[in-house]
Amino acid sequence: MAETTTVRAEIGASVWKITAAAGAAVGEDEPILILESMKMEIPVSAPHAGTVVEVLVAEGEQVEEGQAVATLRR
Amino acid sequence: MTWQPELDELRLRQSHAKELGGADKVARQHAGGRLTVRERIDGMADPGTFHEIGATAGKAEYDEEGNLKRLTPSNCVMGRGKVDGRTVVLLGDDFTVRGGSADATIREKPIMAERMAYEFRLPLIRIIEGSGGGGSVKTIETTGRANLPGGVGGGALYHYTGANLSMVPVVALGLGSVAGLGAARLAASHYSVMTKKSAMFVAGPPVVKRLGQDLSKTELGGWEIQTKSGAVDHATETEEEAFEAARRFLSYLPSSVYGTPPVTECADDPNRRDEKLFTHIPRDRRRVYQMRPIIETVVDKGSFFEMGKMFGRSIITGFARLNGKPVALMASDPFFYGGSWTADACAKIIRFVDLAETFHLPIVYLQDCPGFMVGLDAEKAATIRLGVRAMAAVNQTTVPWCTMIIRNAFGVAGVVHQPAGRLSLRYAWLSARWGSLPLEGGIEAAYAADLAGAEDPAAELGRIEDRLNKLRSPFRTAETFWVEDVIDPRETRRLLCDFADLAQPLLSPTPAALRMRP
Repeated sequence: MAETTTVRAEIGASVWKITAAAGAAVGEDEPILILESMKMEIPVSAPHAGTVVEVLVAEGEQVEEGQAVATLRR
Repeated sequence: MTWQPELDELRLRQSHAKELGGADKVARQHAGGRLTVRERIDGMADPGTFHEIGATAGKAEYDEEGNLKRLTPSNCVMGRGKVDGRTVVLLGDDFTVRGGSADATIREKPIMAERMAYEFRLPLIRIIEGSGGGGSVKTIETTGRANLPGGVGGGALYHYTGANLSMVPVVALGLGSVAGLGAARLAASHYSVMTKKSAMFVAGPPVVKRLGQDLSKTELGGWEIQTKSGAVDHATETEEEAFEAARRFLSYLPSSVYGTPPVTECADDPNRRDEKLFTHIPRDRRRVYQMRPIIETVVDKGSFFEMGKMFGRSIITGFARLNGKPVALMASDPFFYGGSWTADACAKIIRFVDLAETFHLPIVYLQDCPGFMVGLDAEKAATIRLGVRAMAAVNQTTVPWCTMIIRNAFGVAGVVHQPAGRLSLRYAWLSARWGSLPLEGGIEAAYAADLAGAEDPAAELGRIEDRLNKLRSPFRTAETFWVEDVIDPRETRRLLCDFADLAQPLLSPTPAALRMRP
């Protein structure tokens, strides 16, 4: 069975843009979504290459530090 | 005539001490994936260098004729040993004897170890498991009376636990479950490490269950909790990696405040230029970049040793070498709140610059700070008070200081890139920008009247932005000598090595006026 990884926001911020929707293939360190904090765009990137299973947040939504924002399958 | 009978008895007593809490307890320790205290000391010290003190102290049982039947050693093993050729004091809890608790402790042993570190000016390594010599609930029955913490004359351990921080490097390793006094002795250090299987807490799961918190040991005080909270600096997979982290930490520091940091040979060219630095910072100011590759390339190759990575993450702190000379390096991490100073980041900076000041390490700061963190959560965390405390800590340093402004320097937190009352070196990268307030988001408020009166407010906003952006070029600031030097970022290593060379003869092996706190 393919391994599923939960990707978490490391900071509290608002979701600015989702760059890899469910089903998209991403490489290691490639952004899945971009947060906005202190006027900066801060990517949340894939910890390993894989396919995005689900994006758990919407653009404009506030996320908390440690919140799960996406799931990723190898 | 010889003293053979006495020698035989000494050897017998020593052999009892080597058995620790007994074969079954040792087997249980190993089954839990943990080394015994003696194996830990062997893993920490250079081979064959450990000179134990008080090995035969413990509780003895005698037969009716007064002959020794068994000696259960005290659950504190301590003495002197060498680490990378330098003498240190090693002090370890033996969990196989009454779980490391006070029931089997001889109070004077850990006190002597702490005192020896202080008076002989030797780095101290505490290896902690269990309650670290603290009492257990059963203690009242073994002593027959309640213990007033500290009591009369019992404060010496607590005295040295704090005092040593201003005298010698103190490393603490939490291996296994660490609670109460053990947790205090772990946290009261310059550098603390736990394994990822370990847990640290003031009180363990059975106690906190009464608060309605039904948690496992690691859910309560595992590495993810304690490294993020800043109570513990680092977590490793194995105990051996924890010993290696302790060795590496000590390698940057003098044995005491009466020495200066050890300089090593440097095989890395101090004039080395890394072309990647010219393109590393995005021109789009909203885009972030990785700070750690910058650190790695400007310091001596492989010399960066990060500490407290999981805590206050908008600031990166660690030791490094420049042309062989140890420095304390801090740098912003724009991936965390754009590099702004959160309350945690401020607490991290305070402890870090105090550490540098205590052991005479020059400080290098690679700055990209858009200011203090803003918002309701930041206000609730007393960011501004921690912030001005960090400012005071920076201003109280006396060690040589050098700042590279990589990108942002804004607001009051932006001010704190150098000690305010004395000379330090400062360079600004081509990508540097600064101001009392960032322009972004502030223009609409400051130019509200102009925008309201404009036919096309969006176009007017664009014109104002263009005009202001030209003004914030660092060259305009340099014209008036409000900044000394704007540099090609590829020159960074050369200039930092030059700083370390300048700083070296200024380092004074005398105690700092500062008295460091955990």
